[in-house]
Amino acid sequence: MAQAWEVPGLTARARFREAAGRVILTRWAEMMSHREGTEAGDDIECLHAMRVSSRRLRAAMDAFAGAFPERSFRRHLRRVKEVADTLGAARDLDVAIAGLLREHAAAPAEERPGLEGLIARYRQERAGEGPRIRALFARMDEEGAEERFVEWVERHTGVAMRRLRPRSPEEER
Amino acid sequence: MAKPRPVPGLDPDRRLRPNARRILAVRIEEVYAYDGAIADAENVAELHDMRIAFKRLRYLLEIFAVAFDADLDPFVDEAKAMQDLLGEIHDRDVQVPALRDHLEWLEEREHLAARRAVAEAAAAQASGGRRRPSEAAFRRFREELEAGMRFDERVGVHALIARRRRERRELHARFLERWRRLKRDRFRARLEDALGIARG
Repeated sequence: MAQAWEVPGLTARARFREAAGRVILTRWAEMMSHREGTEAGDDIECLHAMRVSSRRLRAAMDAFAGAFPERSFRRHLRRVKEVADTLGAARDLDVAIAGLLREHAAAPAEERPGLEGLIARYRQERAGEGPRIRALFARMDEEGAEERFVEWVERHTGVAMRRLRPRSPEEER
Repeated sequence: MAKPRPVPGLDPDRRLRPNARRILAVRIEEVYAYDGAIADAENVAELHDMRIAFKRLRYLLEIFAVAFDADLDPFVDEAKAMQDLLGEIHDRDVQVPALRDHLEWLEEREHLAARRAVAEAAAAQASGGRRRPSEAAFRRFREELEAGMRFDERVGVHALIARRRRERRELHARFLERWRRLKRDRFRARLEDALGIARG
């Protein structure tokens, strides 16, 4: 599983609001860092890493919901959930296909055609997920979703992304 | 999926710890709210909701760990183990109906193939006048019909359904054992002590 990024400057003495900004902005940057690889679709691990990050971001938003106005929070949470769900649908199929391939290798001959039919069907469904993911990213770009999300977190927490400068574990080394 | 209960008394301008303590107290309570229902393996929704409650608790412990002096890692690991087990159960609860849908899908495909073979045979006969169909035409019809049938695929799907059901029974038994051990080991009391949550 992709390693979670360290949250810069987070200490036990932080105010709840400030901690919210530091954690959520770090998780957002972490999630978006996997976008390019996910969009290219050549490596299923990029999609997996982005999905894991989107779940971490969602969990962070749940944890710090109390730092934001309820209405705008719900709107932004919906967007993050949409990303997590879209990536999740593709990832679930990747996992299902890999699992069935393992079972196929160990299955008696009479069970194999059924597993092959199922694998073929899931592969067909999986082929449809790539365009759905790309369409979601295109929609987010059109709406300026990234800028709006970051600006919303900054406004309510007083933490600025450009000063926080979260970095991946690879960059930390 | 059960929505997280609102947490009263949060103050974003206070420090992290007192707020985290309030949130965690509510989320621990949510996990234990399912205690009375999850012994019954048929309570699919409650088992799923308990998984979500464990997931929320685990992530919160990870996020708020920085605010507490106690080592929360053992509690995170335990919550994750419960979440994973319940996740495995949930996977089976999703897979079995999906496999049944697949069987229906196979059946629909067979009906379509049969209708097409009959229609094509009828059209061929009509274009050939009122003559009896030849032996070759009948053989072709039978081959097309058999090619459209998916009997051989059903065996594997039925076997998969049986396997998933068996796994589900075993997973539920393992989950219950672990849950009872957690309670015996006073998981909740130890966690609340580590977080400094006063017990009522």
